[in-house]
Amino acid sequence: MAKYLCGSLLNLHCSIENCQHGEDFIKILHQCISVLESLSKGDTSQKVTIFTDKGCLKKLVDTIHRLTEEVEEFLNLNHELAIGICEHFDVLRKLQQGDYSVRASEDSPVEIVKMLGQLINKQRDRFLDYIERLKEQHAEIVHSYEQQNAILSSVGVAIVVVDEDMTIEFVNKELEDLVGYSKKELEGKFKWTDFVPEELLNTMIEYHKLRRISPHLAPRQYEAKIKDREGKIKDVLINVAMIPYTKKSIASIIDISERKKIQEQLIHSHKMQALGLLSGRVAHEFNNILSGILGFANLIEEKIEDSLIKNYSRKIIEAGERARDLAKNLLTFSRKEAVGESKKINLSRYLLEFAEFIRPIIGRDIQVKLKIPEDEISYRIDPSHLEVILMNLVTNARDAMPDGGTLTLGLKDVNLDMDYYYTHPLVKPGHYVAICVTDTGIGMDKETKERIFEPFFTTKPKGKGTGLGLSTVFGLIKGYGGHIHVYSEPGKGTTFKIYLPHEEKRDTLIIDRKALKGDETILVVDDDEQIRRYFSAILKDFGYSVIEASDGFEAVNIVEDNKELISLCLVDLVMPGISGIETVKQIRKISDKIKTIIMSGHPIDLKEFESIEKTISADELLYKIRNMLDKKE
Amino acid sequence: MADRVLDYCGLKCPYPILKLSSQYPNFKEGEIIEVIGDCPTFEKDIKAWCQKLGKTIINMEKQGDKLKVTIRI
Ligand SMILES: Nc1ncnc2c1ncn2[C@@H]1O[C@H](COP(=O)(O)OP(=O)(O)OP(=O)(O)O)[C@@H](O)[C@H]1O
Ligand SMILES: [Mg+2]
Repeated sequence: MAKYLCGSLLNLHCSIENCQHGEDFIKILHQCISVLESLSKGDTSQKVTIFTDKGCLKKLVDTIHRLTEEVEEFLNLNHELAIGICEHFDVLRKLQQGDYSVRASEDSPVEIVKMLGQLINKQRDRFLDYIERLKEQHAEIVHSYEQQNAILSSVGVAIVVVDEDMTIEFVNKELEDLVGYSKKELEGKFKWTDFVPEELLNTMIEYHKLRRISPHLAPRQYEAKIKDREGKIKDVLINVAMIPYTKKSIASIIDISERKKIQEQLIHSHKMQALGLLSGRVAHEFNNILSGILGFANLIEEKIEDSLIKNYSRKIIEAGERARDLAKNLLTFSRKEAVGESKKINLSRYLLEFAEFIRPIIGRDIQVKLKIPEDEISYRIDPSHLEVILMNLVTNARDAMPDGGTLTLGLKDVNLDMDYYYTHPLVKPGHYVAICVTDTGIGMDKETKERIFEPFFTTKPKGKGTGLGLSTVFGLIKGYGGHIHVYSEPGKGTTFKIYLPHEEKRDTLIIDRKALKGDETILVVDDDEQIRRYFSAILKDFGYSVIEASDGFEAVNIVEDNKELISLCLVDLVMPGISGIETVKQIRKISDKIKTIIMSGHPIDLKEFESIEKTISADELLYKIRNMLDKKE
Repeated sequence: MADRVLDYCGLKCPYPILKLSSQYPNFKEGEIIEVIGDCPTFEKDIKAWCQKLGKTIINMEKQGDKLKVTIRI
């Protein structure tokens, strides 16, 4: 527009020059042209500076002024708009690149640019809010994941997560220890079935599949076995659950091998106790009857002249004597035989001589080896007992090596510590003499091993073995407060290990048995009927009267009614209802004359109460009771 | 020497800065650019642009009608 105006002004200028108007007129027109020319380039800085009041010229100059102002305003708007857009453009670009620290300016004089800035900022804030929420949720998920991981890692039992195809997906530290592989080696690489022994494979796969059809189709908890890196089989207790929304299962696994072993030991020891009691009774009665038979047979023999009949009666007496020997063996097993004369024996030298003594007996194709420490070891024991023990073990070893082999006799001083106690709860920690008899013979399977100490258990043909050898050994060793363990593998050989406690441990054991007797009344309190019976049988055997109670409540009632009669109470520590300690406290309240002893399954230290362990030998128990009853207040 | 030269001669303001803004995402941080223009308000516009976007003008040089502005991005 300015160009067009400029062109027409030039025409005007020419025609005016031809007329006779003044110089001012020309000057003004020149200025107007130059201002308009600048304006056409977008430059609004030029102004018409010469003043005029001539009608048409003034009109022209005024119009140019207005035009300049309008163009200026228009240009300014244009620039504001452009700068505003450039600025917002830059903010959006930064936001797009992830820089949320920027904000669009909201101060543009141009309404639309200002609104655009506000809009950008609102959008930015909303987006930031959204991101913040996402971050929080993410953190929550991470935390819960970490928490679960921590729980799984620190529960103290082995944990494994198994996928549908049996692949191991997750394991914790305990599982690494259990199977002997590291997390890295296991996860994603091994299948769960790699650790299942052959015989259980089908069952486990079945469980695995059934569980994925419906969780209740397979057992939630069951005992099984697993095979570790070394091929060792471990008894385990497995707990399985499905993980929601997945086909994965999670299993916790507890190694119960140790527990099982201890359980077996306990069962075995209970069985032996019961057998001891039973065979003791039978042998006792048997002995009485035999005394009659032998006595009368002897009388008959003396009275008879006829040599043939005399010979018959001799046979009766001989048979009777054999039967008496048998009964004696049984009594040894049940520890009812009087302890013979003990003396201090140099075991090192004894074994040396013993080895020489047996060499010719056991046959030429069996080599005898000795493993005896340099320092000599002595032990107080009845020599005839020692001989019975060793002869029985050596005879068995010889029988186990019909094709020859090696027999090793070992001797050692050992200190059994608390660690040993945890795996062998029936063996008290302390100093022991260990005697080992090892052969390289046929060995035993598990079933045989479990029964060898039973009286009359034998695998030998009729007439060859009585099955009383080891039960006699067992009885003798128990009599000294000792233990016998057997390690055997079919086809490889057998080791019998005998542990005899050192003297300070069993001072009280060698006591005149008569002194253990008594006629007082004793109350035995235990919720376990078997234990109750066991203790009362021992006490009754030694002359005591016994009352039994199966819990603390019953015990207190009995004491209430018989406080003059009862001299001593033997109370179990852990019972349902009132505890042993509480029971004793109540009994003491009723009468301060009644003595009390608390029995516990483990070694404990109860400051103000007398206490014993349940594994105590009968003699020790009787000795303790006698002492307490005889103690004057 | 400038990393890039943008010649906006013959373009009327505010086209030069609009073009500059649309080119801007291609620039690298710290780059030196040279913008040349001949519009009378070019100087004013380019100064406003630099100020709003926080860029530094290193040099400004008149060459006849043209103005050469050196900027650090
Ligand atoms: N060293 C051993 N190697 C393999 N088996 C053994 C060994 N010692 C004992 N046994 C097994 O234990 C069983 C019981 O042994 P035990 O000594 O009590 O009776 P026995 O030897 O059979 O008979 P007896 O000792 O009266 O002659 C044996 O029959 C045998 O099966
Ligand atoms: Mg035998």
